[in-house]
Amino acid sequence: MAPVGSSQRKLPSLMRVTLRRGAVAGRFYLVIGVVVSLILAIVLLRTAHATTEFASVFPLEIPLFASLGAMGGLLLFVNDRSKGVLEYFISYGVRPQTLYVNSLLVTVSLSSIVLGSALAVGLAAYIATGNPLTSGLENSLLGYTIPMTYASALFASICGIIWSALSTPRTGVNSPVGLAPVLGIAPPILVLVVAEAVDKAAYYDVTVGASLGFLALVVLLLVASSRLMDRERYLSPM
Amino acid sequence: MPTALRMGTPGSSAAVVACRELSAGYRGTPVLEEISFEIREPAIYVVLGPNGAGKTTLFRTLAGILNPYHGAVTIDGRSIEEQATKDRLHFLSHIDGLPDGLRVVEALRLYGTVEGADEEDVERVLGLLEIEPLRRRFVSELSAGQKKRVAIARIFLRERDVYLLDEPTANLDPKVAGEIRDLILRRSRDRIVLYSSHNLFEAREIGTYVLALNSGRLTLFRRISEMTPAKYVVGIRVVAGEENLPSSIKKGDYFLYELPGPEAVAGLLKELEGKGVQVREVKEMGNPLEDLFAT
Repeated sequence: MAPVGSSQRKLPSLMRVTLRRGAVAGRFYLVIGVVVSLILAIVLLRTAHATTEFASVFPLEIPLFASLGAMGGLLLFVNDRSKGVLEYFISYGVRPQTLYVNSLLVTVSLSSIVLGSALAVGLAAYIATGNPLTSGLENSLLGYTIPMTYASALFASICGIIWSALSTPRTGVNSPVGLAPVLGIAPPILVLVVAEAVDKAAYYDVTVGASLGFLALVVLLLVASSRLMDRERYLSPM
Repeated sequence: MPTALRMGTPGSSAAVVACRELSAGYRGTPVLEEISFEIREPAIYVVLGPNGAGKTTLFRTLAGILNPYHGAVTIDGRSIEEQATKDRLHFLSHIDGLPDGLRVVEALRLYGTVEGADEEDVERVLGLLEIEPLRRRFVSELSAGQKKRVAIARIFLRERDVYLLDEPTANLDPKVAGEIRDLILRRSRDRIVLYSSHNLFEAREIGTYVLALNSGRLTLFRRISEMTPAKYVVGIRVVAGEENLPSSIKKGDYFLYELPGPEAVAGLLKELEGKGVQVREVKEMGNPLEDLFAT
């Protein structure tokens, strides 16, 4: 019998199935992220000063829930690593970096679901209730909400993956996975607190500056993580 | 450079698995040191060693999962890093490696997709491993033994030249373990199978060669049939006359006697017959592989 692998074979993309499995693994976080962000939009629209409240708070709070909703990418990576699934993929010839990037793409996709649903439903409700779509709101959403959403979600995932891969395995809320949501929501909360404290005139500069600065930090972390995540980090500790 | 151990003559499988001066480990600490061997003959090569000897690390390095610090693994002279070489081997980890969130059939389809198997192959292995009733069950709902069967089904999706099986029958009941061993034995007729186990009797039953690891070094690579136990022990099971037996240790239903060699068995039986002992069965109790673990 001829050897099966005698000719060069192109490995299929695992992205679609990874995305589906990531959504299943993080479904509770995803539901919480989507539902709470929508509830928040409705609550803001029912306040006495809905236009100003919505325009100043809604853009700042979406990243918080979007990073929470995107935990599926991290959960999937950590589960697959501890159960030896990643080892099998590597034995088939899948590059470890591909597995890492796929997990981060799941994070980006899941945070996009929360971001997209919050923006679509929140803004539709905002406009439907007779509020104007101001340039200030547009700028906040484009300059802060969108970059901060992806930056905080990726920050939580990257830190959680590296941390779990470098440390002794442990479970529960003190595990890297247990603490990762806190890492994700901490930066948006910090910006929220600072934005409340600063002068209204500086609001846009502070939020957008924080968002873009944090995004740059996450990009640097991503580049550095490719050095930290060598092949043995993908192996099950068991 | 240590002398490479070479075993067997090339068989119907053209594969030659070679390890040259292999050192590997984790976080900069070597677990395997200077491992060199060459395997040419299709057969089952049992990898034995105490816990922490480096068996799993050896399998991971042979499978190209773990990068060696030094040395190389090749199949037919081609590096394990090449995709065409990876496509010639199957690796079964000591942990199940089954993806959560999927049903059994979906997990097999996922692995089938990665290794180029089709739906027909998935259906075939569901029948082969008798896991058809589990096909709609989620992997997370399975018992340890059921998970192991599904994990093993994966290695039968496509045929390969080389199989690296790390404790394939751990967690299985004796009946299923026996069935799995039969499947692997059949496959080993024209394939190279490296098989790790802590069960020395299983190792002796299915293995043709033994590779013994200790503290990360290859301490023995021999044909099992050429190994003889340090002590020759037979077990005697009797029908009647137990009270007349010479003093001995009892192990299960067997009374154990240490003899100079197989040629002394006839004399022992004659002596027992003279004492009115009716013998039901005589069994060789010693396993030469046990000597590998003797302190």
